[in-house]
Order: sequence, then C-alpha cells, then structure tokens
Amino acid sequence: MDPARRSTETWRSHILRQLKHRDLSQTSMFQDLIRFYTQLLEKTSLTKAVLSSSNRRDCADSSSSLSSLQEQTSWMKKSTGELAYQVVELQQKIQIKTCFLQDQQDSLQVEKRRLGGVSDACQTLQKQVDHFNLENRKLKEDYDSLLERQRWAESKLREQKVQEEEMLEKMLQLKNQAAARMNNRNERRSRARQATLQKDLQTAARSKVTIDSSSSAPSSRSTSPKPELHVSRGRGQTRLFRSASVASPRMFSSFRELFEKRRGHSVSSLKEDLLYPVGFCVSARVPARSLQVLEAHEQGINAVRFSFSSDLLATGGTDRIVKLWELRAGSLTHRTTLDGSTEGITCIEFDPMGQKVLAASYDRSALLWRVDDSVPKVALTGHSRKVTAAKFTRVSNQVVTGSLDRTVRLWDLQRTACVQQVEVVSSCSDLVCSENIIISGHFDCKIRVWDSRLASCTQELPAQGRVTSLDLSSDRRQLLICCRDDCLQLVDLRRWSNERLCFRAEGFKCGSDSTRAVMSPDGCYLAAGSADGAVYIWNVSTGTLETRLPDKHSSSISAVSWSPSGEYVVSVDRSRRAILWSDI
Amino acid sequence: MADDKDVLRDVWFGRIPTCFTLNPDEATEREAEPYYLLLPRVSYLPLVTDKVKKHFLKVMKAEDVEMWFEYEGTPLKWHYPVGVLFDLHASNTVLPWSITVHFKSFPDQDLLHCPSNSVVEAHFMSSIKEADALKHKSQVINDMQKKDHKQLWMGLQNDKFDQFWAMNRKLMEYSTEEGGFRYIPFRIYQTSSDRPFIQKLFRPVSPEGSAHTLGDLLNEMYPDKKRYQVLIHGIEPLLETPLQWLSEHLSHPDNFLHICVVPAPTD
Repeated sequence: MDPARRSTETWRSHILRQLKHRDLSQTSMFQDLIRFYTQLLEKTSLTKAVLSSSNRRDCADSSSSLSSLQEQTSWMKKSTGELAYQVVELQQKIQIKTCFLQDQQDSLQVEKRRLGGVSDACQTLQKQVDHFNLENRKLKEDYDSLLERQRWAESKLREQKVQEEEMLEKMLQLKNQAAARMNNRNERRSRARQATLQKDLQTAARSKVTIDSSSSAPSSRSTSPKPELHVSRGRGQTRLFRSASVASPRMFSSFRELFEKRRGHSVSSLKEDLLYPVGFCVSARVPARSLQVLEAHEQGINAVRFSFSSDLLATGGTDRIVKLWELRAGSLTHRTTLDGSTEGITCIEFDPMGQKVLAASYDRSALLWRVDDSVPKVALTGHSRKVTAAKFTRVSNQVVTGSLDRTVRLWDLQRTACVQQVEVVSSCSDLVCSENIIISGHFDCKIRVWDSRLASCTQELPAQGRVTSLDLSSDRRQLLICCRDDCLQLVDLRRWSNERLCFRAEGFKCGSDSTRAVMSPDGCYLAAGSADGAVYIWNVSTGTLETRLPDKHSSSISAVSWSPSGEYVVSVDRSRRAILWSDI
Repeated sequence: MADDKDVLRDVWFGRIPTCFTLNPDEATEREAEPYYLLLPRVSYLPLVTDKVKKHFLKVMKAEDVEMWFEYEGTPLKWHYPVGVLFDLHASNTVLPWSITVHFKSFPDQDLLHCPSNSVVEAHFMSSIKEADALKHKSQVINDMQKKDHKQLWMGLQNDKFDQFWAMNRKLMEYSTEEGGFRYIPFRIYQTSSDRPFIQKLFRPVSPEGSAHTLGDLLNEMYPDKKRYQVLIHGIEPLLETPLQWLSEHLSHPDNFLHICVVPAPTD
C-alpha cells in the first residue's frame, strides 16, 4: 500500500506544485501591474473627460471644478459602494422572496389538489341529490295516480249505494203491492163466500123440503137441510158402505134410489152423482167429434178429471191452479179456480162425494180443497220430490200419495199427518185404490200391490215398460196400465195371471212419463191421448183401434178423462187446450 | 483531502494576464490604448470581456457590432474556455497574452456568433449535461432542479467558487462499487489536427479493476506522444496520475477534462 500511496502523493504533490508555479508565473506577476494600469487608465479617461468638458467652460473654473469633480468622484465612489451593498441586500431579499414564493406555490398546489378532490366529492353528492329528487318525483306521481283511483272508486261506491237504495225501495213497493193485491183478493173471496153463504142461508130458509115418509132412519136426517149436513150425510153414507164391503152392482142401484131425493137441492143436473161410479148401468158412447175447444189454462195442462157425478170437470196444469168446470148440455163453463199450490199440478181427483178436490203437485205436497173454496183446506207435505199421484183411499179421510222420491205415503186427513210410509225401489208414477188394496205403478216397469194399510207389498207384477198411468175399471176387476213403450195393458186383478191383453196402435205414442189412459165407465173401451195430438180409442173386446180423433190438439195430449156417464171424453194437452168430445 | 480542496481553488482562480489591442486597421481618429485584463482560465471570452468592449467602443464610436478576438491570425472560438485557448495557442509565449480585438469583418466560417450571454449559458449547460451523460447516464443532472442548473451558471458567471461547487460536487460523486464514473468526459485538443478535438468513450477503471491513468488515455488516443507536451490548466500532470482523480479535480466548470497537446518547446 505504501508505494501506492507514495505514488499518489507523488502525482498529487506534483500537480500542486505545478499549479502553484503556474500561478506565480502567470498571475501574481501581472496582477498588481494590471490593476494599477487599469486604475491609471480609468483615471486618464476620467481626466480626459473632465478636461474635455472643462475646456468648454472657463479656464478659471478649471481648478475648482477639478476639485469639485474630485469630490464628486469620491462621493460617487462612496455611493457606488453603498449601492453595491444595497445590491447585495436586495439580492438577499430576492432570495428570501423567491423561497417564499416557492412555498406559496407549493401550498397553492396542495390547495388546488384538495379543491379538486372536494369538487369531485361535491359532484358525486350533487348526482346523488339529483337521483333522489328523481325518485321522489316518481313516488309523488305514483301517489297522485293512486289518489285519483281511490277517489274514482269512492264515487263509484256512492253511486252503487244510491242505486242499491233505489232498488230496495222499488222492491219493497212491489212487495207491498203484491201483498195488497193478495189481501184484496182474500177479502173479496171471503166477502163472496159470506155473500153466497147468506144467499144459501136465505134460500135454504125459504125452500121447502119434501120428505119421503116411507124411508127409515136416514129420512130423519133430511129434516135439517143445512149444507153442512151434506158432509155428515156423506160420512154416514160412507159408514154404511163400509159395512157393505163387497157390493154387487144391483145393490148400487137400489141405494141410488134411496138417496136420490135426498139430494134435492144438490147441484147435479144430468145424472145422479153417486159415491161410486155407476159404470155398469151406463153404456159408454164412443166420441166422434169435438163439442168444445177451450183454452183452459195459462200454461200446459197436466191432469183432467171428471167428478163422480159427471157434472164437474177439474183441470190442472203448470200454471199452478185447478179450474173447475161445469158441464151442462154439452158445454163447459168455468166455475171456480182453486189456487194455493206453489208449483204445477200433476194429478187431480175428486172425492167420492164430489165435495173435495185432491190434487198432487210439483211442490212436493198434496192439496185438498173443498169444492168452491179456492183456498186449500189441507196441505199434505212431507215428500221430498214431486208428488205424482194422490188418491182417496176406500178408508174415509185417508189419502195415499206416490212421489218421485220413491215413497208411497198414507195420510190421515183429520190429523193431516202421514201415518204410513213405504220405501219403494223406484219412483211411483200413478196409484189406484181398491178395497183393501192399493196398486202403484213404477218407473222400473213393475206394478206393486199393497195392502190397504201399506204394511206390505203383496204382489209385484211386471209391466211392459215404464208405467205412466193406471186406471181401474168400475167393477174393480180390470187394471189398465199405460206404458211408456206405447202399449196399453189390461190385467185381470182377480186372477193375477200374467196373461194380459195388450193394445197398440199405429201412430200412438206415449207423450210423456205421465200420460194418462182411461177406461170407459162400462169397461168396453179404452181411451188414451197420443203424442201426435190425437185421441185413440180401442175396443176391448176386439182388441183393435176403434177410432182415432185427430186434428184438434196441436201438441201431445197429457191426459184424458171419460165422464162417468159415458157420454163425454175430455182430453187436455200441453198447449193449454181442453177439448170435449162426444158422439153427438 | 485538504490538498484536493486547494487544487480545486487553484484551478478555479487561475488567471491569464491578457493585453487587448484594437486592430490597427479599425482604429479611428484617436489611438486606442491597449487594455490589460486578468482573464479567468475557467470562463468564456464573451463573459469576461465587457470592459474590453466598453473600453474600445469609446474609441470606435460604433454601435451594435459584434466583437471578436484573434491571436496571431487565428480567430479565437468563444465557446472554448479561456484557459484552453491560451494553452492551445500561446502556452509557451511571452506573457501577457496579446489578443487583437476586431469589430469588423466577422469571420462567419471560423467563428460562431454570440449575440448574448444566454447563448453562452446554453452552451455551458449543454456541456455539463453531456459530461453527466458520460459520467452518470444523465441521472444526476436530471435529478437537479432548474434552480440548481441556474446556480451552476450564476456561479460561473459571477465567479463564485462556493456557489458553483455547492452544486458541482453532486456531479463529481460516484457510487463506490463502480469505482468511478461510467466514462470519463474529456476532450483532447491539438493545433495541428484537422479535427477540432478528440472525444471518445474511455472508462476510468480497467476491466481488471486497476485505475486508468493519464498515460493509458494518451496511449489509447496517441500512439506516439514523445515530442508533445500535455497541458491541463496550464500544467503538465504526471502520466501516472489517475484519470478518475483528474476528472474530479482538474475538470473545467463544464465538467469536461480539456487536454491540450502542443508541440514540445524546442529549447
């Protein structure tokens, strides 16, 4: 290391020496010389200037001016020094100011940056504010529209309420009117009844009663000629007949003789009305032409029945009323209207005495009227479906009804209660009553025979088709079955054999499930109405069609009835028409 | 190291006694006296010749003319440092250095125009940047701020050693693992060459790790140098002087090592 250091020292010291030498030779020798020279030069130039300027002036002033100039020179030199000092000071101030300016600029930059950041934040906040404003406006619009809808809904509600009130008022008015009308009608009816009652009382009081002195106990009863005794006599007669259970035809006629005078003031005109149809003594006449065509009801007619006295006809149908017609000299006149059913009438029967009318109705009840009393006396309710048939039984004050609810019920009229009820497999379409037995026809093509108390089914007979109606001959021996397959059958009840007579005809069709066919009172003819609007009449003995009565009905015939006198046949159809046929 | 500081000071405060004489052809009615001046070696002619101009303009009575200098017929380039000009042209001549001042007939082929001091400043700053590019890949000079550059220039212009070296010492630093600058910024001037100067890339440390010396540099650039004299700042350093040290201490203010190679004196 030492040689290296020494070597470094060598060249370094060499350089140092060289530099010193150079300065000595080049600079220092001339330094003072040049300085003095320069000073002299300045002086001379100054003096020259002074001299040149003073030469222009007076010579005398030259010396004074020279000294003044010298003073000026020294003063200027002093001022130069001062100025130089000031210059240095000012330069220092400038330095300070420059530093200060730099600091200011730095802080300005910082502030600018902060300002930038703050303005950015401000912008984002502004954007948020705008966004919120927009959302706010949207919400407000939604709110306004909802308010509008609510107001409109409220006004509608008010309108509806007003309308509702108006409608209620109207309805109340109508109801009131109907009630008033009903009241009026009832009043009128009661007044009419009262009037007729008075009239009858008066006529009864005035009329004379002829008494047959030869009669026995029954005659005593005739002394009290009150209409009410009609009924009691009827009752007494019933009792009498009960004792004579198996009656021969001739007994009928003899009894008829007994009672005919009793009924002097009764309404019957043509023939005596008996308790039971007098079939044998009267021969039926085959009708040939129509005597009268009636628009009998407001709507279709379902049932028609002659009373046992042949002078009253009852028709009933869909218009819920039963009309009673008087048959006099070949013409029908309207007598009374029986209302009170709330739905259509299916079947009508007169009681044997001809004082009561029993009707079975769609409104699941059977109604009982007194003839001429338009308000029903008794209503037998209890079936759950429409009552298809209601018939008086041989027992007094008993009614049997059959219904589509597959039951047959037995009713007591005095108690107006159902005393017996049997469930059958199939709906009952028609009933007939004989002594001790009740026969019902059903939709399952069977005929069922019950004992009179409906306690048990003694027999079950098959039918050709669905049974639509049954009819008993007046001698209780033959049963006429009308079936849906367009055939009529006659069954002999005594023998209960399956051998039976079947009646068909070309063109004869059963119109409905409740088409009724009847036997003539003498048992020689059968009459039935067809779907083509013609009445067909068969001859029983020959088994063929006897006659056909077309063109009077415009729709299918729903029921026919033969008057017990045998002279008239009435057929009714669905287009409200009732036609009275006869052979005259 | 105190020696190194002395070296730096001696280098900075080096002076050349100069005598400025107006061109006799350009003299007017009055005869102009010569002007004597001690020129700083490290500065540039336009910076230090204001008084000369003022002195001679009194006689010339001409306005807005460019002054140019010439020595024994050679127009003096103002962008060389004064010391370089002297060493190159008049190193072994009699002092003071006689320079002829011209105001007319500016030789455009030989000299550059110098309208103001800012041109000198630009040239000076570009030299510093070029030197730093060679030394530090321009990292140090680019790290400096504009005011630092200004300080360098002001230090030179106002002849403020401390002001200048406060900044310049940064340019003289190097990382210890390097062992020196990347390349040594130097220029070799010769009067008899057609090239103005020689400037090449030269590392201060050899690949083996030994420091290059002035002798190595001259061997590289000049195969034969026996008959020449190598002058830096008017002195002849020993050939074994390390190049790195030379660059640090004997550079001019523009950070270049200006080396003048002149024919050896015959006597």
